[in-house]
Amino acid sequence: MQITLHHAHEARSMRVLWLLEEFGADYTLRVYDFFNKSLRSEDYLTIHPAGRVPSVEVDGRVMLESGAIAEYLAEQLPAAGLHRGPDHPERMEYLELLHYAETIGQHLANLTQGHIVLYEDWMRSPTQIGLETKRLAKVLTRLEAQLRDGRAYLLTSGFSAADCAVGYGVWLAPRFVSLEKLPHVAAYRDRLMARPALQKALPPEGAKRIYTKDFYEVPDV
Amino acid sequence: MSATLHSIAGSRSFRVLWLLHELGEPVEVVPYQIMDGSLQQEGFKAISPARRVPALEIDGRVLIESGATVQYLCETRKGHDLMPPVHADERADWLQWLHYAETLGGGIQNLNMQHLFLPKPEMRSLTVMGIETKRLAIALKGVEKALSDGRDYLLPTGFSAADVMMGFTLTSARRYVRFEGFPHLTAYQARLEARPAYSAAQVAEGPQQFYTQDFYELPEG
Ligand SMILES: N[C@@H](CCC(=O)N[C@@H](CS)C(=O)NCC(=O)O)C(=O)O
Ligand SMILES: N[C@@H](CCC(=O)N[C@@H](CS)C(=O)NCC(=O)O)C(=O)O
Repeated sequence: MQITLHHAHEARSMRVLWLLEEFGADYTLRVYDFFNKSLRSEDYLTIHPAGRVPSVEVDGRVMLESGAIAEYLAEQLPAAGLHRGPDHPERMEYLELLHYAETIGQHLANLTQGHIVLYEDWMRSPTQIGLETKRLAKVLTRLEAQLRDGRAYLLTSGFSAADCAVGYGVWLAPRFVSLEKLPHVAAYRDRLMARPALQKALPPEGAKRIYTKDFYEVPDV
Repeated sequence: MSATLHSIAGSRSFRVLWLLHELGEPVEVVPYQIMDGSLQQEGFKAISPARRVPALEIDGRVLIESGATVQYLCETRKGHDLMPPVHADERADWLQWLHYAETLGGGIQNLNMQHLFLPKPEMRSLTVMGIETKRLAIALKGVEKALSDGRDYLLPTGFSAADVMMGFTLTSARRYVRFEGFPHLTAYQARLEARPAYSAAQVAEGPQQFYTQDFYELPEG
């Protein structure tokens, strides 16, 4: 497979980058600056009509949506073992997690918008930021419950593409909510961080990042 | 035993309800409302850990995440053409649209929050409302573009579950974005609504109760 990934450091495209590293696949990486309108260039808009990342070109075909890309690559490259097919007992859990990743991802995107993209206080809604923070904590609580039985990864059958999809959110979440009351999620995050493939998907030294603070406090209403 | 769908009329649960009607599967609908506390009932958490809909009880299990539920139903029910097989040419597109529908769904959810659910106008952010309206319009434009080669459905091969995922999304999006500039999308929506299973599912879900206007203008500011 010939793969080109369009990526911005620390954006959802990190899911795909991480997954490609887990595969040990060959790929071409194109990095965009999240803040400077390069995602809105004519050239990029012919690839992604909404100017978002990720997008991938796989053997000349363009594909959007991190969850779809993860699911597709994992099923087309079954030898990598990151896929759970229709006959697998954890098939439904696997599919659910691939989508749940974006239920988490939408809260993170809203918080990124509220704290970072909207750079002036008057642009934001502190009420909305507060609500989104609570909703993020709530969707993580469900992962805590799932991990409580001591499993190392989200499926009992071991690491899968769903860990890359959801794991991106788990990697990012502590910038917005404390994991203190979610010890299993915190330990899971440490396990993910220890994976060389995740380390390779992080921005290189000196690269421009989206997230520059360790923790973003909810502003006072 | 027939299936039970926990549903809010006019929400993402319509995707699952419509698909069940396309498949001819009997289903009983348990209705909830967004603001009346019904999602907070004792017992609902055991069904849907984040207290969200849809949640579908079927085959002795509970499914959450509309996209995952739709794929599960396509995989476990036979005798339909709603999902291209793994090695079909349309597989990547099918997966992409399944997830893309949720990018639209997230945008609508953000606009619902600002226009309908923040109890006081001063809790809103006009900037967020403006940005989210624009992002929704751009994301819809991506669908318009895909349809502009004259195809009837998202896949050139015909109607599929990816169209079912779009279901409620277009109806809701039209309350925030005018479709005048989207002739293909308008015709596509009419084509979807003309399907007998679509109308039957609408009857089964009952009237939606949270939108009180056909169109929500951006507030002045
Ligand atoms: N559901 C999509 C969401 C993609 C998305 O919104 N990506 C963000 C970055 S995390 C983006 O490109 N935002 C730039 C913009 O919308 O202008 C996915 O998972 O791929
Ligand atoms: N990604 C999920 C999202 C589910 C979701 O957020 N559902 C909304 C209704 S459309 C809900 O239950 N909201 C209630 C709440 O968040 O409190 C899906 O597609 O099923």
